[in-house]
Amino acid sequence: MKLLKMLPFLPLLLLLSGCWDRLELEEQAFVVVVGLDSGPNHTVAVTFQIANPQVGSSDKGSAQNEPPSDIVTFNAADILSAKELANSVITRKISFAHLRTVIVSQEFAKSGLFHRILGSSVRDPEMRREINLIVSKEKASDFVKNNKPKLETRPHKYYAFMQERWRDTGYVPYSTLNRYMQRLGDDTLFLAIYATASKKETKYSKNEDNYLAGQIPHKGGDPVEIMGSAVFRAGKMIGTLTGEETRYALFLRRKSLTHSFIATYPDPLNEEYQITCRFMKNGKAKIKMNAKSDPAQVSVRIPFRVQVLSTASFVDYASDAEKQRQLKDGLQRKLADRIKQLVAKTQRTYKGEPFLWHLIARNQFWTLDEYESYNWSEQYTRAQVQVQVDLTIVNFGKQVEPPIMHISGDEQP
Amino acid sequence: MNKGAVGRGEEKEKEKENGKEKEPRLSVNLAENVDTIKRAFSYPVNRALVVRELFAASLQREVTVLFLEGATDTESIESQIIQPLVTKTLTLLRHHNAVTVTMEEILTSSSVRTTSLFQDLIHGLVNGGTILLIQGEAQGLTMDTPGFQSRSITEPQVEHVLKGPKEAFIESAAANRSLIRKQVRDHQLMSEVVTVGERSMNEVSLMYIKNLADPDLVTEVKQRISEIQADTVPNLSMLEQHIEERSYSLIPTALLTERPDRASSFLMEGHVILIMENSPTAMVVPITFWSLFHTPEDQYLRWAYGNFIRIVRIFAVFVALLTPSLYIAVSTFHEEMLPTDLLLAIGATRERVPFPALIEVLLMEAAFELVREAAVRIPTIIGPTIGIVGALILGQAAVEANIVSPILVIIVAMTGISSFTIPEISFNFAVRILRFIILFTASFMGFFGIALTLTCVISYMVSFKSFGVPFLTPLSPHDRSSKDLIVRPPVWKQWLRPFYTNPQDKQRKKKPEGPS
Repeated sequence: MKLLKMLPFLPLLLLLSGCWDRLELEEQAFVVVVGLDSGPNHTVAVTFQIANPQVGSSDKGSAQNEPPSDIVTFNAADILSAKELANSVITRKISFAHLRTVIVSQEFAKSGLFHRILGSSVRDPEMRREINLIVSKEKASDFVKNNKPKLETRPHKYYAFMQERWRDTGYVPYSTLNRYMQRLGDDTLFLAIYATASKKETKYSKNEDNYLAGQIPHKGGDPVEIMGSAVFRAGKMIGTLTGEETRYALFLRRKSLTHSFIATYPDPLNEEYQITCRFMKNGKAKIKMNAKSDPAQVSVRIPFRVQVLSTASFVDYASDAEKQRQLKDGLQRKLADRIKQLVAKTQRTYKGEPFLWHLIARNQFWTLDEYESYNWSEQYTRAQVQVQVDLTIVNFGKQVEPPIMHISGDEQP
Repeated sequence: MNKGAVGRGEEKEKEKENGKEKEPRLSVNLAENVDTIKRAFSYPVNRALVVRELFAASLQREVTVLFLEGATDTESIESQIIQPLVTKTLTLLRHHNAVTVTMEEILTSSSVRTTSLFQDLIHGLVNGGTILLIQGEAQGLTMDTPGFQSRSITEPQVEHVLKGPKEAFIESAAANRSLIRKQVRDHQLMSEVVTVGERSMNEVSLMYIKNLADPDLVTEVKQRISEIQADTVPNLSMLEQHIEERSYSLIPTALLTERPDRASSFLMEGHVILIMENSPTAMVVPITFWSLFHTPEDQYLRWAYGNFIRIVRIFAVFVALLTPSLYIAVSTFHEEMLPTDLLLAIGATRERVPFPALIEVLLMEAAFELVREAAVRIPTIIGPTIGIVGALILGQAAVEANIVSPILVIIVAMTGISSFTIPEISFNFAVRILRFIILFTASFMGFFGIALTLTCVISYMVSFKSFGVPFLTPLSPHDRSSKDLIVRPPVWKQWLRPFYTNPQDKQRKKKPEGPS
């Protein structure tokens, strides 16, 4: 009964409780993309792309004449002070709660300031570790401005969908802030997504994946190309890998996120034409390492199952076991060669590996001190790496035999 | 509090004993006795009392038959009492006592009692009995001839089932008892009567299975009813409020059901059923939390179907309890939880709404509660109006007028619909009131507030008892039972009675053998 008499006063208690961080949805501006460029005097130019909720939503709330997003750039000491500064222009409270993408310009990523800015921003609870890290060839503010996808009205949707495609194709790595933080050490390289919105050089390659962003021969559509990866060592960008190399790099890991990719290779029986196959990873890559010997011995076996999708040469592989064997050997050799080239490139140029082999190397030592004094990244540059690709051809598509066609001699290219 | 109640009870007993000695008794003079009763009923101003004076041929004496109009069945009075009295002529009397002769040889009424107290006669009259006074005898006879009007047995109004009996309790206690006896054909089914109320003496029938129910429980229930100090306790809903454990608690500790099959299934588990005149329900004590959202249909349907609807209902409890507060918490504290598209869609529609989200929710919830209350009170003929008004105001116009955002209509509609799936009215109210409490704490402290309130509610439920049975048992404290709590096992596996009611026979049948 006494409690009941106190009941009218209980709501007063609530006034003492913590509702200071409450904010209505419409009072906040949700930043969906942040771009980072280097500014003058050790400052950073932070570009915010703020989603306009009234565009692309239901009829009830739509505003026809407004753009889908607002893009503003501020020069500040770091991201968080820029966020505060932004409120001098933006009417609503800036929120990073839905920030999923950070674009960093190549120039800034190569500077020493990059790691200090990004690393310190993680203190903000709104900077979530799932944020995707993209390195743009040009200035990040230009990239954000030029990225106008035709199909997506809302900017965050573009990145959300693209992220799913990346997982399918493996042209770009899966790079988040969390992975960046994990791979800050000296013994491993971090791969970030590489992209550009300005096209400079177009390269024509027979292999459809041997491109870097900006080189893809495409016409029309969104100017943005996302292909290949930026290589980071100890929080600093040191180079790039093409789409093809990125794929191999991902498959050289013991467990990889990408499980299949479609690629073309010259037909071993008729080098004029390409043969298109779907490579599916068949279990984990088997990596054996002997760190005791000098130089270190690494042997990698990657099992693949292969679906032959198209043979432009019209060689009838399906009904000929001998030709199949040749195809298999040819593809295995080609694949292993290219992977070896990539390994050699990382050993020579980048002096480190992005294949997470350091985890396997670490297993060889009893204590962390022993491992650290071993200096894996230095050892890796000299390591002997054996690469073997195991292919199993599973099928030849729906129609196994090539169409019957009589081609006269002079028609052949 | 209990101590005080017991003390008061003892005093009352004493008073009764003292009173009994002074109670007026009948005299041998018939006219005097009739006059006393007439005075008690203010005859002839009160025309309800019917006084029929007769000459009983067999007894060769004056007799008077008295009954109350409207409370008795005049046809049976005529055929079972008046006719034998007047027409029977006995040549050989086996007894010299006129009262015994009348009782044993003349009257054909099925129940006859003798008494020498006026109070008993009056009590008999108001309860639909007929009394017979004989010249020269200081004793009167009362016969049961109840003829109260009541409706016939119909289908349940609240607890519908698709599969299962379609009988519901009605306002007549005798009919209700018979409905239960129809389900439980057990000679041990007891039907005790306890009177309650000081001015109008209402009768409460206490039903239990003698070799099953815990005798302590039966004593406890009887004790609580006898301790009630009230002028009148007209029906079970009032009785519930008198005997329940905690009057200010949001959560009920007794269950009212209008289904005889449900009541009898509780009987078979060792519970006690209370039945009262004028109540179209039976009260079940003690209860646990689980029985609040069980329905008989869970058992009637096959295992998978029964469990499916049960899970739907449990889910609905959470939806009814939490959706508005989750919306408030997510939209004002934890925006990062929403998918970006949904967030932008909500944000876009909220932009033109002038109120904060909490006010918006309160507006809609209040409107919904108004519609619901109106729907109960509104005369059936103009009932459909409420649907149209409700749908238009809540669904369409409020959004068009930018008073609320469209998502809120979905939330309030979901909440409303979900709360209707809770079959028990008391629990339904508890959920609806708790919803507002959680809404407020969520608007001040977000998820933390919701967690805080839920913790309080759960710890409260764990701590209190219904007639000595912990409310959340057999889950916590854990007790053996047939595991019919959240989901139920197949019927043949429910071979145990719940141990929390402390039944004298713990098994319904032998433990089933073979692979389970």
